[in-house]
Amino acid sequence: MNAPADPTLLPPLTQPQGWQASLALRVENRTGRSVLARNQHYGPLRVQKALYPEGDPVCQILMLHPPAGIAGGDQLQIEVEVAADAHAQLTTPGAGKWYKARGVDQPLATQDITLSVAAGGKLEWLPQEVIVFDQAQARATTTINLAEGARAIGWDILCLGRQASGEDFRTGSFRQRLRLQRPDGTPLWQEAMHLQGSDSTMRSPVGLNNKRIFGTLWLAGITPDATLTESLRSLAISTGTYGLSALPQVTIIRAMADSAEAIRQYFEAVWAMARPHVLQREAVAPRIWKT
Amino acid sequence: MNLQLVRLLHLASPALPVGAFSYSQGLEWAVESGAVTSEAAAQRWIRDALHLALARCEAPALIGLLRAWKAGNACEVARLNAEFIATRETSELRAETLQMGYSLARLLRDLPDTPEATKTALLELREIAFPTPWATAAAHWQIEELDAANAYLWAWLENQVMAAVKLVPLGQTAGQRMLVALAEDLPALALEAVRRADTEDWENFTPGMTLASSQHETQYTRLFRS
Repeated sequence: MNAPADPTLLPPLTQPQGWQASLALRVENRTGRSVLARNQHYGPLRVQKALYPEGDPVCQILMLHPPAGIAGGDQLQIEVEVAADAHAQLTTPGAGKWYKARGVDQPLATQDITLSVAAGGKLEWLPQEVIVFDQAQARATTTINLAEGARAIGWDILCLGRQASGEDFRTGSFRQRLRLQRPDGTPLWQEAMHLQGSDSTMRSPVGLNNKRIFGTLWLAGITPDATLTESLRSLAISTGTYGLSALPQVTIIRAMADSAEAIRQYFEAVWAMARPHVLQREAVAPRIWKT
Repeated sequence: MNLQLVRLLHLASPALPVGAFSYSQGLEWAVESGAVTSEAAAQRWIRDALHLALARCEAPALIGLLRAWKAGNACEVARLNAEFIATRETSELRAETLQMGYSLARLLRDLPDTPEATKTALLELREIAFPTPWATAAAHWQIEELDAANAYLWAWLENQVMAAVKLVPLGQTAGQRMLVALAEDLPALALEAVRRADTEDWENFTPGMTLASSQHETQYTRLFRS
């Protein structure tokens, strides 16, 4: 990987091949402080700030996506490693955006995220929602490598079409894979989708049931706990549908709604309740959530 | 294919002692919550589950496993078995496939016809998804891929329709009407399953169904185990 590049030197958006961006981070525990020991970036992906609102044990990282969103041909790669006994909390200051493709022959926009947590490591992956514009042509993967004894909480909130401005998702194509696995590749849970405006998944009651905004939250590295599951079930989303189920190494919480805000509020409440159990820390909401 | 046809009928029979009749895969909650209250709504739910869940994930997994068993590749069987289990995202859906898989694997172990090497490979799996031993038997009886996919989908369909008849409730004629209508989709879905198996292009995104399944876990009175 190259040294940090000046974003003003990057190819302009009009370049047909799109741009490449990558970010590689590693958080290590050094005598009780979670230190950002590696921070390499190429292109417009970068760390805005590493903060310590909870003191030394938790390194809070604000990640900046390309400010103009992701367009056709762009290729993004994010790698985060959390070493033994370190704790990293990652957030983004704004919504992610997948722009519409500029033409049918344009290459896909892609994003590949790999999050690896060593034994005793703790990871929080709490980005803002991602908006997939109508006519976007994109593919995204998130792979979480979870060693035995590692813990993680993460979520993914997806909005199909710019609902706020009345745009439906009619001709876009979005492939996404989420995978939680052991470092040797043994899968714990996985989901693969290919969302297309014309696909019956969009309307079907077994699919999205005409909702265009949905979210998935995972609590990973824990065995099912009846008390926690019971408590989490007592939380409700303001509008929309939701549900949770506890699998041997991961508890999955799902929500579908008409607004990303409803899902975010619900997930923040789930996170606040689950954090002491999963990560042995009281919930301290990142300041970025309040702005 | 006379004997193979008989073997296939045997494998797809609701009399196969694996307890399939006790699972609704979220349909019981869909009825309870008011999402499915008529023959038309039941037919839509089942048709969409066939198209979006079975043809895109479970049947392609079955075909992959069938190929692995036919090639005698126990490592590939174990890998696909684990990959498929990881696609079951609620505890009831996972318990369902594991219970049925375990029951069928035990049955195969106890049948005189099963080769020793197959028994060993099956017993080495810590958890067994239902398509895994089903593919074992289909491979042993030399069932063709498309025939296996059609029969597997039919067995699933018949079971779901019977669940709908009991839950909505519907008359037996309504159930048969649904089976006649939905069976017409199966050949194309079996082809899709075989095509998806070629590149392991599985999709398992059915949030409405999995939300129904997770809600079913706390449903007050239940006839079904999923």
